Amino acid sequence: MIIGIPKGLLYYRYEALWRSFFHTLKIETLVSQNTDYGLMAEGIRNTADESCLPAKIYLGHVRSLAGKCDYILVPRFDGTGKNEKLCERFFGMYDTVKNTFPGVRLLDYNLSSKGLHSEARGFVEMGARLGKHPFVSLFAYNQAKKTQKEQQAAQVRRQKKRLAAEGAKILLVSQPYVIHDTQLGKPLLQILKDLNITPVFSDDCDAAECVKASRKISKQLYWSMNKESIGSIPLLQNQVDGVILLTAYPCGTDSLVNEMVMRKVRDIPVIQILLDEQQGEAGLQTRLESFADIIAKR
Amino acid sequence: MHERTRVFLGVDVGSISTKGVIINNENEVLSSDYIWTEGNPIEATKQLIRSLQSGLDDGVAVTAVGVTGSARKLVGAMLGAQVTKNEITAHAVGTLSRYPQARTILEIGGQDSKLILLDGGVVVDYAMNTLCAAGTGAFLSSQAKRLGVRVEDMGAIALTSQSPSKIAARCTVFAESDMIHKAQTGHKKEDLIAGLCHAVAANYLNNLAKGKRLREPVVFQGGVSKNAGVVRAFEEETGFEILVDPNSHLMGAVGAAILAKEAGEESEFDFHITDVFFSTVAHECEGCSNRCEVVSFLKDGEVMDLWGNRCPKGAAVRHAADCAQRER
Repeated sequence: MIIGIPKGLLYYRYEALWRSFFHTLKIETLVSQNTDYGLMAEGIRNTADESCLPAKIYLGHVRSLAGKCDYILVPRFDGTGKNEKLCERFFGMYDTVKNTFPGVRLLDYNLSSKGLHSEARGFVEMGARLGKHPFVSLFAYNQAKKTQKEQQAAQVRRQKKRLAAEGAKILLVSQPYVIHDTQLGKPLLQILKDLNITPVFSDDCDAAECVKASRKISKQLYWSMNKESIGSIPLLQNQVDGVILLTAYPCGTDSLVNEMVMRKVRDIPVIQILLDEQQGEAGLQTRLESFADIIAKR
Repeated sequence: MHERTRVFLGVDVGSISTKGVIINNENEVLSSDYIWTEGNPIEATKQLIRSLQSGLDDGVAVTAVGVTGSARKLVGAMLGAQVTKNEITAHAVGTLSRYPQARTILEIGGQDSKLILLDGGVVVDYAMNTLCAAGTGAFLSSQAKRLGVRVEDMGAIALTSQSPSKIAARCTVFAESDMIHKAQTGHKKEDLIAGLCHAVAANYLNNLAKGKRLREPVVFQGGVSKNAGVVRAFEEETGFEILVDPNSHLMGAVGAAILAKEAGEESEFDFHITDVFFSTVAHECEGCSNRCEVVSFLKDGEVMDLWGNRCPKGAAVRHAADCAQRER
């Protein structure tokens, strides 16, 4: 049996957890290819116009896995804790995929803000659908949790190394599925590299610390993923030279949160970069070069 | 032979117009021109270079070239520029040479608009229009055509208006339908034009200046700054005095020239470049499904430069060789 994992959206958050869980259960996984223009175009063709670009790309990944595996993992996420929400798109994604590709068999698990052990329960239920005993699934889940923690620790170490680098550093505040996508974030990273700037990623920070630090910007935020990303600003602003808020069009939560960040964060240069389906990179180049000039002159 | 005076060339190739200046060591403009790009930056640049050359006397030598604007890469390669710089920095440098105290630069060009905030002669923040070209020169040009006036005359006409029409400023598509509606209900042309100027200023302030604090002195530049109606609208909207330099349309080019002067790298510029055959070949690379649009830049059929590719795949390089073959 092969489980297909689309390389988009929550993949960048849960990759280690998912892979390790299935690995312990001795189930093969297949992660879709990197996003490229063809895959993105396929996603755009298959998605409602108003969807955000990362969701369109996600559908492209699902499409690319169809026929290559027995199940495709598309979880349904409501929230990650008390008074915490994810964007509704993560709640609706299972049904979106189900209705877009009716012929494809999906594997899902639910994560909701209600109940303490909801993630573990989700995994046990998912295991049951694959014919695994609850104890076996629970064991695999615990193993996977360990792997996830190790990976997060490795990310924090990687962050420290980046922060210790010589020269200018820019903190990229972004959803992981935007900055790490080969079609969305990679061209930007390439330009930064050409400008000799070290990128520092918001998702390489310790998530719990970020959530705590985000209260310095706003105490009222309830979007978990935005708390994690913007919390990196108060955490790191003394160690970097500038902040780029990177978002993909049209992101509802980012559009509200980034606007607030630009008004509230005053003591470090901040710009917002909005990525869309347009292919031209000239605009991106101009904006990044100017920003590099600003931080170089300070 | 006596030593010739060193001078510096700055070129700003925008989407709508191409601007060029030649400055001396004191940043004074010796020769300048402003022509329409008309979708052909290579031809426009050649025409510009010819015109700048005719305005110069023999005792000077251009020793460094700076290029800015949306076609800076292409034209930079063509002129062998020492410096190709983004528009924000070039505009800031140009303006600071005229107004060292400037704190705010409003810039509206053909399809871009920018807001640059300075502190102590250093750029500290900027904003550029995002997805739409609302409220830029291109919008004013198309509306001028619709109203049957020359875009150059719009400012003077706007100033004659006693009661500018209220035109929606949120989005220029709505502004346009608003304007047509007002015209059909009998608003006078000068009131409509003044209303449009207000819409441009309000749109700019809503889009770019939101959440940012503008401080005096405020300098307004770019092609649209030549429109006195928009200047007045900005004064009314912000309550500040708006400074417009006589060379406000050339500030990007002046900045590029100054940056070239300061680059510390000099070699004499050959005006014969206007006789060279330059061309570009665009091609979709089929190396992978990224489908990069690769542009090869050729000088007399020889590939000089190549851009647009996301990876150094063989296809792109091979393609360059193919192009060279084809052009010969």
